Amino acid sequence: MRRQLRSRRAPTLPYGYRYRLDDQDEVNQNYLADEEEEAEEEARVMVVPDLEEEEEEEEEKEEDEKEEEESHSQETDSAWWRKLQIVNEYLWDPEKRTSLARTGLILVIYFFFYASLAAVITLCMYTLFLTISPYMPTFTERVKPPGVMIRPFAHSLNFNFNVSEPDTWQHYVISLNGFLQGYNDSLQEEMNVDCPPGQYFIQDGDEDEDKKACQFKRSFLKNCSGLEDPTFGYSTGQPCILLKMNRIVGFRPERGDPVKVSCKVQRGDENDIRSINYYPESASFDLRYYPYYGKLTHVNYTSPLVAMHFTDVVKNQAVPVQCQLKGKGIINDVINDRFVGRVIFTLNIET
Amino acid sequence: MLTQTREVAAEPEEGGAGLKTHLPRANVVPLLLFQKREVYSVELSGIKDIEKTDKEDGKEKSRGLKNKCLERKKNHQKEELKKELDMDDHKLSKEELETKYGTNIITETPEIIKFLKQMVGGFSILLWIGAILCWIAYGIQYSHDQSSSLDNVYLGSVLALVVILTGVFAYYQEAKSTNIMSSFQKMIPQASVYLGSVLALVVILTGVFAYYQEAKSTNIMSTLVIRDSEKKTIPADQLVMGDIVEIKGGDQVPADVRLLSTQGCKVDNSSVTGESEPQARSCEFTHESPLETKNIAFFSTTCLEGTATAMVINTGDRTIIGQIASLASRVEDSKTPIAIEIEHFVHIVAGVAVSIGIIFFIIAVSMKYHVLDSIIFLIGIIVANVPEGLLATVTVTLSLTAKRMAKKNCLVKNLEAVETLGSTSIICSDKTGTLTQNRMTVAHLWFDHQIFVADTSENHSNQVFDQSSATWASLSKIITLCNRAEFRPGQESIPIMKKIVVGDASETALLKFSEVMLGNVMDIRKRNRKLSIHETEDPDDKRFLMVMKGAPERILEKCSTIMVNGQEQPLDSSTAEAFHTAYMELGGIGERVLGFCHLYLPTDEFPETYSFDVETMNFPTSNFCFVGLLSMIDPPRSTVPDAVTKCRSAGIKVIMVTGDHPITAKAIAKSVGIISANSETVEDIAKRLNLPVEQVNKQDAKAAVVTGMELKDMSPEQLDEILANHSEIVFARTSPQQKLIIVEGCQRQDAVVAVTGDGVNDSPALKKADIGIAMGIAGSDAARNAADMVLLDDNFASIVTGVEEGRLIFDNLKKTIAYTLTKNIAELCPFLIYIIAGLPLPIGTITILFIDLGTDIIPSIALAYEKAESDIMNRKPRHKKKDRLVNAPLALYSYLHIGLMQALGAFITYFTVYAQHGFLPSTILNLRVEWENDNVNDLEDSYGQEWTRYQRKYLEWTGYTAFFVSIMIQQIADLIIRKTRRNSIFQQGLFRNKIIWVGIASQIIIALILSYGLGSIQALNFTMIRPQYWFVAVPHAVLIWVYDEVRKLFIRLFPGSWWDKNMYY
Repeated sequence: MRRQLRSRRAPTLPYGYRYRLDDQDEVNQNYLADEEEEAEEEARVMVVPDLEEEEEEEEEKEEDEKEEEESHSQETDSAWWRKLQIVNEYLWDPEKRTSLARTGLILVIYFFFYASLAAVITLCMYTLFLTISPYMPTFTERVKPPGVMIRPFAHSLNFNFNVSEPDTWQHYVISLNGFLQGYNDSLQEEMNVDCPPGQYFIQDGDEDEDKKACQFKRSFLKNCSGLEDPTFGYSTGQPCILLKMNRIVGFRPERGDPVKVSCKVQRGDENDIRSINYYPESASFDLRYYPYYGKLTHVNYTSPLVAMHFTDVVKNQAVPVQCQLKGKGIINDVINDRFVGRVIFTLNIET
Repeated sequence: MLTQTREVAAEPEEGGAGLKTHLPRANVVPLLLFQKREVYSVELSGIKDIEKTDKEDGKEKSRGLKNKCLERKKNHQKEELKKELDMDDHKLSKEELETKYGTNIITETPEIIKFLKQMVGGFSILLWIGAILCWIAYGIQYSHDQSSSLDNVYLGSVLALVVILTGVFAYYQEAKSTNIMSSFQKMIPQASVYLGSVLALVVILTGVFAYYQEAKSTNIMSTLVIRDSEKKTIPADQLVMGDIVEIKGGDQVPADVRLLSTQGCKVDNSSVTGESEPQARSCEFTHESPLETKNIAFFSTTCLEGTATAMVINTGDRTIIGQIASLASRVEDSKTPIAIEIEHFVHIVAGVAVSIGIIFFIIAVSMKYHVLDSIIFLIGIIVANVPEGLLATVTVTLSLTAKRMAKKNCLVKNLEAVETLGSTSIICSDKTGTLTQNRMTVAHLWFDHQIFVADTSENHSNQVFDQSSATWASLSKIITLCNRAEFRPGQESIPIMKKIVVGDASETALLKFSEVMLGNVMDIRKRNRKLSIHETEDPDDKRFLMVMKGAPERILEKCSTIMVNGQEQPLDSSTAEAFHTAYMELGGIGERVLGFCHLYLPTDEFPETYSFDVETMNFPTSNFCFVGLLSMIDPPRSTVPDAVTKCRSAGIKVIMVTGDHPITAKAIAKSVGIISANSETVEDIAKRLNLPVEQVNKQDAKAAVVTGMELKDMSPEQLDEILANHSEIVFARTSPQQKLIIVEGCQRQDAVVAVTGDGVNDSPALKKADIGIAMGIAGSDAARNAADMVLLDDNFASIVTGVEEGRLIFDNLKKTIAYTLTKNIAELCPFLIYIIAGLPLPIGTITILFIDLGTDIIPSIALAYEKAESDIMNRKPRHKKKDRLVNAPLALYSYLHIGLMQALGAFITYFTVYAQHGFLPSTILNLRVEWENDNVNDLEDSYGQEWTRYQRKYLEWTGYTAFFVSIMIQQIADLIIRKTRRNSIFQQGLFRNKIIWVGIASQIIIALILSYGLGSIQALNFTMIRPQYWFVAVPHAVLIWVYDEVRKLFIRLFPGSWWDKNMYY
């Protein structure tokens, strides 16, 4: 039915139009243009009432085209020129001043279509946000078990420095200092509460209530706090490395069994590291720092740290070190993820 | 005794008929039949002879020409003689002679290797580029960092593999369909009998057998040649020009030969000219056209009877057959319409892919992305844009249709030709065997001054004319007795019309006619046995009855009385006038007319014991009693008029192109509706208005009958004019070259041309046509090889089925492509947003491949099973250049409407997954660099949680899977809306196409397996997602469906409106 209509309509088109539609290559190049053109034709068919005007226009148009054809008859072989001409005609037809309006009709339709789509997506996103709590992530299974990260961290897990050349380790010190600013005793005392150790710091109440955070003072780190030794031991070849467990909302280590940290040589001679001092001495993350309530309400939460002080490491040799979390329910042997429950880095201290 | 009599009798009777020995219609064979005592019958069989005078005139003219030629030749020879004898043929060995004059082998066109073509055609180039870019990217990565991951190598290899596999698959499909074809070819008549494994076995065996036969036959084709002054048998391919060969009945003519002496030689020229009657050959030059003159026999035709000595005048490729073969092979195989459409579509998609790819490459580079990253984006965009599975799907769809058509007796050789019939706007049909039954059948009778119509349908069951007249009794007796044809024994159970008969075409027709009319003919003949004494039907009548049939005017010459209502009346001028009127009327509708007469011999002159002697003609040969006329025609198949009407209503012009006479052609054209009842040719108008033909306005005539002779003098413009101005055209007496010209003329009108034919002479036209359709049973091998489609039942009506299937597949391919293109946007958007907004990648390249080559394949094939939405046979054939397979509305609607909606739905799922796991949309904006940094293992999310790289990666894969599942869910909606383009889904019926549901089930099952079965396989980037993510996109799927229903509703409500034009694809 429609097809017939189309074919019946087709012969009434001025010659130029048919020619253009017929041109196959052009369909690719002026794809959008084609569409516009069709719209243009169709719009013309729709505007039936002023038939006379229409006819005049068409005549004019035909004349135009003839003129154009004549004027470009020398360049008839340049099909590109003709195509450009056609494109130009849609964009702005100086005679009729209408084609742009017809293109405009399409644009308006598309505008409304996309506006409603935008409305739909807004609605969807709104619904999504309604169902999502800003305080608790809906699912945490992907971020469990917790990952581990160390500080100082500068793009690499290889600690290469020469004790006698401060330039090689100065950036570690700066990084550590920066990191520990938030743990300054004064700040901690001002912002956070000193909560009882050895038990969870559970704060019931509404989700949206602000939660208090437990103090983790820089001074807990003793020799690695940078308070006594501002170079964190790097100047003596006894580097401090801080270990931090990734925050997970609602994560609680198994009751009564705080997560411990233990480091050893990953591969090679175990005696390459003769001693490590852990601060806090328990080498564990106290239960009072758990659970974490999310950054919206648990504003001043400071992640607990464990500092490893490598006091006697073999020098002038790369020593791979693996630090693992140990505790009930802690996984530290995921093959694909080398940062879950463990962290591997190398120490290469030159003297 | 009887046979002897026949042969001896032949000569004097012929003399009596006053015809020359070499003319076939003069081959009058009298037959003596002796009834119990007195009945004596003589049969005079002949052929209607309307054109006799013309031909004789032509003959004289040509003789004159020949003489002139001879004279010139003689003069020329005198000149030549004065020159030095220049000849070296005597020095050459036989081998050298052979090389000089050319051996008698027709060269064959070499086999084309399609495999590599499949590897580089279509999208394959794009994917190759993608693969190579992947490898280059890895190369760059490797040169920077030796430990870089192999992901890009894998991806590149996967892409290459996809290309190779698709190529192999397409090649396999193509090869399979060709194989099916060739095996079917060998066993066409029994094709439907064999099934399953039996079929396979038979295919192999027939293949082997046919090969063996072919090998054997090429080996034995040898010929008797006079060389070195002795008769030798040599293989026919060693013949050279000038050889003198001897041909006898049963031989194949070894080359084009000029006959030197003949003895009752008849050849079967059907393979060259399409004439199915045996043609007599003689030494005389009878026609200017070498195809029609009697003194030439053609290579590969069969000598049916007699012997001849002949000189070889053309060998190998220079023979008529060789020329036709090379003409056929030189005719370029033009691209099928669907191939053009697919190319067009590939251009569009490739254009979109490349331009978006390049634009975003530039954007990425100018956004300070690393060039390597930009290359990887480019790959992603290409992969997302190219519908990898589509070409394979199209191939499968086409071969499914081909299979369906094979079941309906249309065997498609070239897969792409499946659709061509659907676009066909002109069918050039051969007459004999395609439109007609290819067997002479009694159509009209004339006796008692009245014309009666006989039933010419396939089974003859419905004979309604008045059989009470006594004349009919006499006539039927003559028809029965005056006939040498016999049924081959052992066919009792076969319907009369299908029984095999020994005898020529007209006698066969008469035999079957009388068998139908009177019952057991053999029995009647037995009761009226010749020369033996039997009980007679009428014991009182002891006279001999002499019966005779032949060309009506010759029969009338011998008659003095005519039988009217059973009474003999003197033949006066008014009855002769009535006879002539009837004769002309029957002849004028293209029928072959025979006259019948009889004579009761008086008992006193011819007593029971009288011994007849045909040698001395001791019986009367005049004063017979004329009984009636009977006319025969090769009647149209009963299904043809209906099929022609259907073609008409489908907007297809049916043109008849035949080698037959214009009168017969026109008559058949009228009876099947190729020339409709009320339309006239220019000649008809001229006759009606009593004007000279030149004065008639050619525009008034709807119909036209053009003969080969007229066509010869026409310029292409004149032919174009005829093709454009007349809607009903018959071309008669056309040569193979002219058929080609006609097809080309039609193609110049921008028409898609189908040609049907069966003879070798049709093969160039079959090849030239957009789709050549050969007859499976009657067709020659050459025709079948040149054709794209074979009608297994030789039935024109099957073409209508083909048209219907072709149109349906075109519509359904549109749906398939629309379905496939839609998700490309949903696959592309993630990349664009990834580049621009820096979100973690929503869907991976491998995952995209799993949609394109996994979940989407079966559903898109399922669309091929969709039924037509409306009566597709009532619309015009599509315009080759206007109604494209992929047009602007289709692309825009798929890309910018449904595609975008899908993308949105999938993105909602993506955001849901990320938000529920802790990354709210505001957080992931521009997170890309940190997200993908392998060294950041404590990336903070919106809740302050910290993620390791691998945890993020896993979340990303969860995102891929969820995105994948969302696209899949929305593709289900897409599949359902694509079932129709115009009707509501409820009008079409949601459950009518069961395969669609198989497709939907397959989608879901594949997605389930990928998500939950292969979740642990890291390389595929699928994870187990929470069940609820399957349902996030469901509202969007419903929205898509509702939107499309609204679109269709508006199209139906406002046909022809702006909406209709822009939203109907």
